[in-house]
Amino acid sequence: MDTLLAFAAALLQAGVMLAVAPLLKTAIKKMKARLQNRKGPPILQGYYDLLKLLRKEPLRSETASWIYVAGPRVYFAAAVAATTLVPVLYAAAPLEAAGGILLLVGTLALGRFALATAALDTGSPFGGMGASRDMTIAALAEPALMLGLFASALAAGSLSLGVMVRGLLHQGLSFHPSDLLAFAGLFIIVITETGRIPVDNPATHLELTMIHEAMVLEYAGPDLALVEWASALKELLYLTLLVDLFLPAGMATSIAPVALLVGLLAWAGKIFVLAIFVTVAESTNAKLRLFRVPELVSVSLGLAFLALAIRFL
Amino acid sequence: MTGFDPAIGLPAALALRVGIVAATLLLWRQRRVARHVAFLGSAAASLVTGLLAADVLLAGVPLDGAGFVHEASGFRLAYAVDGLSAWFLLVLSLLGVPIALFSIGYVGYPHFRRRSVFLGVAFNLLLLAVELVFTAADAITFLCAWELMTLATAALVVTEHEERASRRAAFLYLVMSHVGTGCLIGGFMALASMSGSFSFATLLSGDAALPTARFGLFALFFLGFGVKAGIVPLHVWLPEAHPAAPTSISALMSGVLIKTGIYGIVRVCAFGLGTPPLSWGVLVVVVGGLSAVLGVLYALMQHDLKRLLAYHSIENIGIILLGLGAGMMGLAYGRSDLAAVGVAASLYHVLNHAVFKGLLFLGAGGVVTATGTRQIEQFGGLLRRMPWTGLLFLVGAVAISGLPPLNGFASEWLTFQAFLFGFRGSAEPLVHLLFPVGGAVLALTTALAAACFVKAFGISFLALPRSGAAAEARESPAVMLVPQAFLAALCVGLGLFPGLVLEVLDSVMASLPGLEPRAEMAPSGLVMTSGLESFDHVVPVMLGAALLGALAVARLLTARRRARVRRVPTWGCGGELGARTEYTATAFSKPLMMIFRAVYRPTREVEALAEVSPYFPREVRYRAEIEPTFERYAYRPLVRAVLRVAEGMKLLQAGSLHAYLAYVIAFVVCMVLLVWLRS
Repeated sequence: MDTLLAFAAALLQAGVMLAVAPLLKTAIKKMKARLQNRKGPPILQGYYDLLKLLRKEPLRSETASWIYVAGPRVYFAAAVAATTLVPVLYAAAPLEAAGGILLLVGTLALGRFALATAALDTGSPFGGMGASRDMTIAALAEPALMLGLFASALAAGSLSLGVMVRGLLHQGLSFHPSDLLAFAGLFIIVITETGRIPVDNPATHLELTMIHEAMVLEYAGPDLALVEWASALKELLYLTLLVDLFLPAGMATSIAPVALLVGLLAWAGKIFVLAIFVTVAESTNAKLRLFRVPELVSVSLGLAFLALAIRFL
Repeated sequence: MTGFDPAIGLPAALALRVGIVAATLLLWRQRRVARHVAFLGSAAASLVTGLLAADVLLAGVPLDGAGFVHEASGFRLAYAVDGLSAWFLLVLSLLGVPIALFSIGYVGYPHFRRRSVFLGVAFNLLLLAVELVFTAADAITFLCAWELMTLATAALVVTEHEERASRRAAFLYLVMSHVGTGCLIGGFMALASMSGSFSFATLLSGDAALPTARFGLFALFFLGFGVKAGIVPLHVWLPEAHPAAPTSISALMSGVLIKTGIYGIVRVCAFGLGTPPLSWGVLVVVVGGLSAVLGVLYALMQHDLKRLLAYHSIENIGIILLGLGAGMMGLAYGRSDLAAVGVAASLYHVLNHAVFKGLLFLGAGGVVTATGTRQIEQFGGLLRRMPWTGLLFLVGAVAISGLPPLNGFASEWLTFQAFLFGFRGSAEPLVHLLFPVGGAVLALTTALAAACFVKAFGISFLALPRSGAAAEARESPAVMLVPQAFLAALCVGLGLFPGLVLEVLDSVMASLPGLEPRAEMAPSGLVMTSGLESFDHVVPVMLGAALLGALAVARLLTARRRARVRRVPTWGCGGELGARTEYTATAFSKPLMMIFRAVYRPTREVEALAEVSPYFPREVRYRAEIEPTFERYAYRPLVRAVLRVAEGMKLLQAGSLHAYLAYVIAFVVCMVLLVWLRS
């Protein structure tokens, strides 16, 4: 019974996240455009794009195998499954019983593995280039991500996101200098993992500078829609993770409608603030050369390590 | 329970092996029959040992017996199957059966057919030796079995003795192994002289070693077993010997043989010399971390499929040692719960690595046989020609990359727990931070492994064929595919039901001193926790269900009434798309080569041959290689020093009879003087 209820909650939360994700992507685009004195796309553009892509004819390469078809689907499924492992409005993840942050990171890695493998399937050199760069950056980001997460988790005494969030809510507003370092470290990783400037440029049209976009260059129609949607979802997920780890205040602790509504508003507000951070970071930085990215990531690794050292030494 | 008496299991299996060897030798004229007898028989014998091991593990009652007893001197050669032995026997049997069945098909290929008898005999002898290594209950039996194992492996490595590379690999293996065996003989003799017995029961009871000699003994055993396990920097033989052997042997070497080193380290270093001090655990963690990272970094630069897999074995040995080291640190702190998590993680990974590495090697064997080359750059597009091999290889690739919900994730998850849960039990500041850093090292390793297997699978099996041989490849026969399917199913099963594995591991840990079985680590067959459910737990089945549900949603989203897929050519940037325009394995790993250039120290030569103007080259030659750091800076000076000493010895052994007579006289005079002086 509990399991059924959990899966129902998971379905609901995944639905909410899926519905909001395209909005976040367009909002960042719009804010970025405003900073450049442009008007930017209409706020619903993300939905129009997905709708258009979903209704298009599926077009696939002659050289591709079933891996090409499976890639976007597994990527999408992994992103959706990952959202069910994170508390969003309510101070417990729907599938908290399934596992904690290690499972979350593993699930996202599964999606990345599937998409990178599928990118090699068409025989186009760009797919391989994108896959190679994406896996390289992911491999460098992984230890920094883990160390940053460990810093928060060890402070909370648990690797389960639900337990961590409830612990933070219970102790009320408290601040430890290590939080600041850990947040800065994780924010860099979020930028890296979501393919934002200065690591990757989501708006680029130059194949040779692409990372994520090169990987999915050969996709079209409904397949592409799944990839785009899942990427947007992943971005929302990472920002939600930051919210959960550092400022869960306002999250609902009961399922009373008022509490849930407050939780929704608090969550939306915090995500919006983080989106502004992302926009500013993207607008005020130039994209780094690929071989400068390791330096950025090592800054994050250093910050996470310092956070641990300050907290526990 | 099974109507099978475990007490006769081991002698029966060993007798069966000897019988098979004899029968195979007698049938040497009929290769086909000999092949079937040898490998079917081997599968049967492995099944018997597997049943025996399962019985010991489930009943929790150890077995023992003697093979040879000399009453007058009290000398006996004995065997015993306790929890730890049974676990490794189980691993051996789970891999031994599919490899034997695979070999029936594999050895039947023309390339190996004329060596059927040799392969059959050596394979059975090798398994016999490994079974003895895992069950030996005294130092003499152990060392004899160890040596038989080394010799049988060396013989198998040199199966293709007409190739110089194989002979060199076997020689290197023999030299390195014997250095290791030398350390082991020294260690066991020292222990035996301290305790006055050869029997493991007294030898490894923990109080046999003198306190002052403990660290020396630990170092000797760690070196000796470390050579066999392939830890960095003693790994240099491994990437030479594993690819040189026929693939089914490579699978056995990577899956089980290097685990004999782990078995030794667990039995002797971790639990045989008394409670390990903290420094030993730290040393094991550092060596494990180094092996894991360097193993996977070197694997990334390999474009020979079998060498790549061999380097991944070094990586996985590192992961196993990371877990074990964390466990040993738990033992040093006297925290049996922390120690149990670490040891369980490492033993779980022993099983998982055997299963997925066996699967990957068998798949690689099928590919290499079908294409006639081991170079990834010559493959491409194999998924169309070999759909089943491709699918099963993919399962292995996902498993080795530590991705949920397969088995690699389960044991790596537990290793993470060993580090993070262990963090709470430690106190010294520097050691304290070693725990999260160990976790970060493990994260780097798994992420790099994922990158490597995107490359290995993608370049080999996807896109267009890169050579004529790859375009003409034929799928392996069912006799080779079914064993792979069995291993792939194990990858899924061991990942989805971690609780069941931990329950079995409980009886292993009950047999080790200083560990308590932690029933709460496995509250049910589906769940795995790190001792405290509120700290962390994982239910892979639940994630699997969520993934399936989400896949169904994706299907719903893309399902349309008149969705007819149109097939179009890939855009080739205006040119022809072909094998030459595809992304290569070298290019794929190039960014990592540049980023980790401090490790690789790559050298690169670009040569443009032009006739008219340098701007219009007729031909461009590119050559890049990475520096073999250990071979060049550690082993070459060592070899040179050994040769110099040997050169110096020539002065003594000059070939002159007069000189030799003079030595004899001098020796006799010395002895007489000695005796005279002492009396």
